[in-house]
Amino acid sequence: MRLSRLSLVILLPTILLLAACQDAGAVETLPAALRQHCLRCHGAKKVSGKVNLVKSLAAKPGGLASDLDLIEKMIEVLSDGEMPPEDEKQPTKAERDRWIAELKRVLKHGLANQPCLARVPIRRMNRFEYNNAVKDLFELQRDPFALPERIVRDIGGYFKPATGKVPPFVIVGNRAMGKSQFIGTGNTLPGVSAFPKDNRAEHGFDNRGDHLSMSPVLMESFFSLSQSILNSPKFPLHARAWKTIFVAPDGMPSAQQRAEGKRRLRVFLRRAFRKDASKETVARYHQRFSQRLDDGTSFTESMKAAISAALVSPRFLYVYSGSGSQGDAKSLDDFELASRLSFFLWNSIPDVTLLDLASQGKLSDPKVLREQAARMLNHPRLKNFCDSFATQWLQLDLMVSAVPSDQRFRDYYFGGATGKIYKVGMHMAIEPLLLFETVLIEDRPITDLIAPDFSYQSDLLRRWYRHDKKKGRAEVVGIRFNRVPIKQPRWGGVITNAAVMTMTSSPLRTKPITRGAWLASTIFNDPPAPPPASVPKLEDDDAKLQKEGLTLRDKLKQHVTNPECASCHKKIDPLGFALENYDAVGRWRETYRTNLPIDSSGTLFNKHAFQDVIDFKDAMIAEKDRFARAFASHLLSFALGRKLDAGDGPSLDRIVANSAKDDYRFRTMVREVILSQSFTHSSSNGVESH
Amino acid sequence: MNQLSRRSFLYGAGGGVMALPWLNLTHAAAAESAEAAAPIRMAFYYVPIGVVRSAFFPAADKSEYKLTPTLKPLEAFKHKTNFITGLDRTIQSGTDVHAQCGSCFLTSAAPDEVKGSAYPLSRTLDHIIADHIGERTPFRTLELSCNSHKDNKESIYFDNISWYGTGHVAPSFRNPRQVYRRLFGTRGLKNYRDITDLVLEDAKSFQRELGVEDKRKFAEYFESVRSIEKQIDKVEQKKNLIAKVEMIEPDDVPLPRRKYIRLMGDLMILALQNNLTHVATMMVGPERWNTPTMYEGVFDKPMSHHQLSHAQGRQPVRQNLEKIDHFHVQQYAYMIQKMDSIKEGSRSLLDNTVFTFGSGLGDGSTHQYSELPIVTAGSGGGRFQTGRLIKCNQGTPLANLWLSYTQLMGIKRDRFADSTGLLKELDV
Repeated sequence: MRLSRLSLVILLPTILLLAACQDAGAVETLPAALRQHCLRCHGAKKVSGKVNLVKSLAAKPGGLASDLDLIEKMIEVLSDGEMPPEDEKQPTKAERDRWIAELKRVLKHGLANQPCLARVPIRRMNRFEYNNAVKDLFELQRDPFALPERIVRDIGGYFKPATGKVPPFVIVGNRAMGKSQFIGTGNTLPGVSAFPKDNRAEHGFDNRGDHLSMSPVLMESFFSLSQSILNSPKFPLHARAWKTIFVAPDGMPSAQQRAEGKRRLRVFLRRAFRKDASKETVARYHQRFSQRLDDGTSFTESMKAAISAALVSPRFLYVYSGSGSQGDAKSLDDFELASRLSFFLWNSIPDVTLLDLASQGKLSDPKVLREQAARMLNHPRLKNFCDSFATQWLQLDLMVSAVPSDQRFRDYYFGGATGKIYKVGMHMAIEPLLLFETVLIEDRPITDLIAPDFSYQSDLLRRWYRHDKKKGRAEVVGIRFNRVPIKQPRWGGVITNAAVMTMTSSPLRTKPITRGAWLASTIFNDPPAPPPASVPKLEDDDAKLQKEGLTLRDKLKQHVTNPECASCHKKIDPLGFALENYDAVGRWRETYRTNLPIDSSGTLFNKHAFQDVIDFKDAMIAEKDRFARAFASHLLSFALGRKLDAGDGPSLDRIVANSAKDDYRFRTMVREVILSQSFTHSSSNGVESH
Repeated sequence: MNQLSRRSFLYGAGGGVMALPWLNLTHAAAAESAEAAAPIRMAFYYVPIGVVRSAFFPAADKSEYKLTPTLKPLEAFKHKTNFITGLDRTIQSGTDVHAQCGSCFLTSAAPDEVKGSAYPLSRTLDHIIADHIGERTPFRTLELSCNSHKDNKESIYFDNISWYGTGHVAPSFRNPRQVYRRLFGTRGLKNYRDITDLVLEDAKSFQRELGVEDKRKFAEYFESVRSIEKQIDKVEQKKNLIAKVEMIEPDDVPLPRRKYIRLMGDLMILALQNNLTHVATMMVGPERWNTPTMYEGVFDKPMSHHQLSHAQGRQPVRQNLEKIDHFHVQQYAYMIQKMDSIKEGSRSLLDNTVFTFGSGLGDGSTHQYSELPIVTAGSGGGRFQTGRLIKCNQGTPLANLWLSYTQLMGIKRDRFADSTGLLKELDV
């Protein structure tokens, strides 16, 4: 019997696939299933969605089993009923369950075999981390330079995580959009100018290796900063560590000053370099100090010389976890663990407590880790985590450039001589961020991020939601935000608030596809693939469409008849249209302006049908396990500074399972992330992830 | 790659500080040897989001070709430019088209060649050329950008055309004052002198603790510190230079866009003219990035270039888009004119440069990478003919042009990215 080449191609690698699996009996269904339902579109006749199963089956060494990310993806699309596509032959439920179980077995087996934790490449500190590190090293009472990306400024002193409570009202400022954007550097060190903000990775955070490289220009900035910070006229005033580091003890004879300098440098370098400095390292910096001292320079100036050099050393500037040796996933050493902890929760260098525990070799003990996690979550420095993670997770920096049409939405702008200097967005952006901080401080279940029974709103914002013509208090510097009950489920949460609705709209209309993509990415960590090269255009003014008697949804339906487009848009468009009742500036509308009805119905994950956004929120709460896993993924990706892959699967499973027992409380989730294998281990053997 | 260690190069065989070819020559001697020894400069002027094709490409009859309205600003320099049509690039699917077209415009990697990255992105042409000639000048390259947006809307892949390697961006200047200080600044540099030795030692011991891949990336630290050392060594010469240069340090005040782009152009030209660098790239605007920009004198309110490109089916929108294209060509023409006014022997700086205008997108609305708008100005020291409309066969890789450039600069290479050979029509 002559075998066709195709079946040969399939038979050989399925033998390999068999070899990789443990239970030979049930396995036979899988290759046959693939042949029958998948290979035609995925490799044999064409390659849809860039997935070539024929190629993967033939790959060395283990065929399909060596691409664990692909297997993970296959499990996902089969579980959601996305594959096989609706118009193709469907398996029975029993068959589908069998395939999924089989793939899960292969995945588990594969993970047990390979060491596979992806590498975290070496990188420099980003701007925010550098600022915090310098601040903590010298116990500065203000930031060295302006950081407008930290949106919520705590003016009234509400941020006290140790109390476990956020007060009924808070006074805050919006650094990026408030009056301070015009003033400049009132609250920082004079004479110090920063380097530009680091960009965020696509679907990631600004602590990714490939986005953080060094250049001669940047190096000069670091050189310049190391001098301008120490020499700022206000530095001695604002740095609480000024005397302990830079001022010689009263009346100490110069003979002893040399030794005193060495002692102080050893303490300083331990903190700056995040581990016990070797004898050579200390000697290196001490020599610089001593040379100057011997030349007659003052103790203070000599110390400055040594320390400014330490601030440009790679041991200070670079964040690195995982030492060079090859091997399976191995535990991080205690100092690396201390750094990972502090950069995760404080965006800064470890404090002395963490370093001491590392020196004693106690930090990797799970009991100690738990205690430290709890301590760090109670520390005021937790604000750095909120400023960095929350803004990026919700992509709220898009608020800064949202420009609703000043003709159609005139009242979005207010203030100043022209009546157009400030934007209501200044107040809007703070609402979801305060919610985030409150859920964290009060250790609430993370489902409160989606459907809470309270929110923080300013007077301006409350009136905005009520379509009130009057602006009310409309503060631009210190804004008062009150804790208000949310009685109507259409409001509240990180999704259904004016900020997110405004920043996912264009000047004249909402952008449902953008909203859908935002939701898929933020809430479900499932960002759509980039659109193909040629995309048909859509009207930028929906009023024109509506004159034709079409709503945006009708028009999009026409566009999406192309099957290449339909596969992604079937998933993301319904999410966006669920939010269509919120107009381009975040207010509720029952119909479009032309009185055409709004259709916000859809189905979530092919499982939960919904009629409007309220059903939609219920559906999301019903799928809270999925949200929890997605949120844990975001947290873990931020904590590790890299993309996640199949190797992190087991860690995520455990994080979600353990947090579920505690209702998915925020602090519990953070603690579980810290205790996970992905966090406490590293591998320099794996493939670099970008 | 240069086998000389950087330090020995800096200090030379006899131990004295390395002299730069131009700065120490007397005026007369300089003039004499100018013609013989004029170095070739490479500069790139990148515009994002493509152009309106119908208003851009000149129609050609037999020998004469007329400039379209968009290209009109180049009329006076038609004889020193070449318009190239028919150049193409392959899209590698899996990334955003805008991000890829900008970040991979100058890439030396062919599609699907780079494992471990979604982008076919590796060391870009400017750095490959600088690897060969960068040691001649205090700065190997100069990367400039006229992206003045402060919101953090897009990732670095939309905002950079110059890359040291895969996942390793070469950051660019956006601030004219910073450029000035980098090129001519001496302030504070002396203070850094004794730090550099110390931290380099620290870096060597740190490097020993790193894995293989990380060692490679960490080389950036050494390069950066050594570049500062080189600058320090040139401080004295710089002081002489600043006395000659007729430009005062720019303020930190935001400028209207036309002035801003021209100021960045002036700085680039100064750097090329004074041999501070021979390789420069300027990304005039970022890819995509919807935030509206104010084009003073062109429109009376801020416009989003990207959003316009997707509505160009409508006539008024297309006209606006053509105005933006014209605006970009105008600034390019300004720079050409300035370069041509600088004499180097019997030629001009423009003649001794290859100054390329281009975009990674052929058409912004359909996101095609074919029929790219490419213009070259200057002749690389008379190495090729100018004043032509060069029509390449459809599908000719853009990389053929880049390969021809590497040949022009004296680099031996049989392939660049997905090139199929040299661009014969250019006839280098």
